[in-house]
Amino acid sequence: MLDPAIIGQILWSSFANSSYFVLFALAFALVLKVNGVFNFAQGGVMTAAFYAAYTIVGTAKGPGWLGFIGGLAAAVVLGIAIEVTGFRNLRLRRASPLFVFIFTLVLTELIAYIAMLIFGTWPTTIFPSLYWPVTLVGGIAISEWDVPAVLSAATACIALFLFLRFTRSGQCMIAVADNSELAELYGIERNAIYVHTMAVAGLMVGLGMFLFGARAQVQPSTSIELMLFAVVASIAGGIGNLWGAALTAVVLGIIQNGSVLVLPSEWQGLLLYIFLFVAIIFFPSGIKLPTRKLKVSRRATELDGESQET
Amino acid sequence: MKTITRRSALATGLAATASLAAGTARAQETFRFGLAMPLSGSQALYGADQVKAAEWAVAAINAAGGVNGKKLEMISLDTQGDPQLGIKAVTRLASVEKVPALILAWSAVVKATAPIMNDNKVLGLSVGANSADVAKLGDYVYTTYPLADVDIAALARYTASTMAKKKAALVFINNESGIVAAQVYRDVFTKAGGQVVAYEAYDPKATDWTGSILKVRASNPDVIHVQGVVGDIPQVIAQMRQLGLQQVVSSYSAIYNPKFIEQLGKGAEGVIATSLAPGADDDPAVKTYIERWKKEVGREPNGLPYTQYLYDAAYVVAAIFKSLDDKKLPLTGENFRKELIGIKTFDLPLTGQLVVNENHTVSKPVILMEVKDGKWTKKAVVS
Repeated sequence: MLDPAIIGQILWSSFANSSYFVLFALAFALVLKVNGVFNFAQGGVMTAAFYAAYTIVGTAKGPGWLGFIGGLAAAVVLGIAIEVTGFRNLRLRRASPLFVFIFTLVLTELIAYIAMLIFGTWPTTIFPSLYWPVTLVGGIAISEWDVPAVLSAATACIALFLFLRFTRSGQCMIAVADNSELAELYGIERNAIYVHTMAVAGLMVGLGMFLFGARAQVQPSTSIELMLFAVVASIAGGIGNLWGAALTAVVLGIIQNGSVLVLPSEWQGLLLYIFLFVAIIFFPSGIKLPTRKLKVSRRATELDGESQET
Repeated sequence: MKTITRRSALATGLAATASLAAGTARAQETFRFGLAMPLSGSQALYGADQVKAAEWAVAAINAAGGVNGKKLEMISLDTQGDPQLGIKAVTRLASVEKVPALILAWSAVVKATAPIMNDNKVLGLSVGANSADVAKLGDYVYTTYPLADVDIAALARYTASTMAKKKAALVFINNESGIVAAQVYRDVFTKAGGQVVAYEAYDPKATDWTGSILKVRASNPDVIHVQGVVGDIPQVIAQMRQLGLQQVVSSYSAIYNPKFIEQLGKGAEGVIATSLAPGADDDPAVKTYIERWKKEVGREPNGLPYTQYLYDAAYVVAAIFKSLDDKKLPLTGENFRKELIGIKTFDLPLTGQLVVNENHTVSKPVILMEVKDGKWTKKAVVS
């Protein structure tokens, strides 16, 4: 089993399939960081995004690009609606974080049931066929879905990075995430930033669901199962650490798939829960790699010690 | 103003009581039985169509004069295919509705509710649950649907003997139904002289099967049997084809529908599925039944054979009610069970003859279907 071609295939397939998980994890981590909400309603947004794209492409036989735009639009509109009509009101009423969390869970279930009533429970895909032709590159099968998925997820990550770093709205999101009250004192409209955050998260979710729905069957309850991966990645990657969540999503995907080389396949699902358990108990602030800052401070301490000795 | 005297109030009360009693008597003129199936949740894609089929059968029986002139009444409750909800539904049917018999499906639900049916002496007819364990769940649990050891065993035997495949790989969902079916396939295939070279269970929530499939690929099998659920079998097979596995792939009745071919395109060619009921080409009644679906629902039913069995299950129940009524026997679960075994052979409209065996199994031929030139075609009938 430890054939280089097999290991290469597992690494590539896991990497390609983690494209949508990265987007889901980023969206979840972003809302958690800026809005301070464990937004399980993201599952509902995912459901809405998929069925919007499915309605346009699968039912109305519209072009794929239109379905893509429809999915993005549905996710953004629903995300904003959740913030404006739900989270904002709950903040005004000073609802406890637990109450807000329950609200998000209920909302996702509600949207899943509505989708079930409208679309039924037959598993569906955005495009009629699940089968994507493959090309062999050095013995590794690369499907026609893989490369666009990886590229679009990578582009979305870069775009998010640039948005947060160089746009005023992105910088305001970081400011609100760091200290929302202080940010407001500096004239940042907190509520507007929360809306922007939900819109950006909606874009991530819309893209992720389009990628997922193009290669896998979706039922109204599917997004609830997909959410678990995003939650685990967000917690294990460090709460509030966007890029940690994204990286964890990739690593988790590779570990899950690669685990079959040494463990029975049925353990794949259990691994996710073990990660969640370990992350919550032993790494409540996330798994942090040694940083340059730490080295610098250690060096500073050393220098300080040397100067005291002399 | 007219005053109400104690005598007139008493007379009114008596009249009302008499009226209620008459209503109850009228209610008892119907033959009531239960149905516990998934009407919501992820399993409803099959469950809802099966319930519709049973409703059509009840309507057809009543339209034809009912059972000895009395109406057949079906009380449907939702289980979502979940054992906990199944327990609630069956408890209500047994204790509150007090039906003598009920129809149910989904192996996990049948297993979880078997003690309730046995304790309350209510006959449970499992229709669709294919775990071989269903035959061992007690005196009051019977099946009208061939269990996994019927179609999976027939398929494994045919693959090893007639198709002369020597090395099989099994990829199965890690739940009750998948595990039992995989065990049956492995045992029968090995007994028939074959060798199982890969035995891979996958997580029910998996969305990617690369690792499992690569393990199968490394074992270099002649044939691959996939035992999953309708939501993931097409994806597993698509991923197999993408990863270069061109061997014959087989599965069971869950994939026997046109959508499977649409989803896989050329990747579906050569895939074999089992079917436990005659198709439209075999029986004009089935053809009419499918045409009715297309006309009234706009599509073929999800899991056509299952719906045929559900349709026919109502006729089994009606036949037992008729027999009990003819003999003037009380409509108890105990008598229902005795009469089921007593009648033994039922001629049913959509699935043909059904023989209920004393060991709680049924005898039926298995039809093997194969995708050829983008269509499901009959490959063989095996028993």
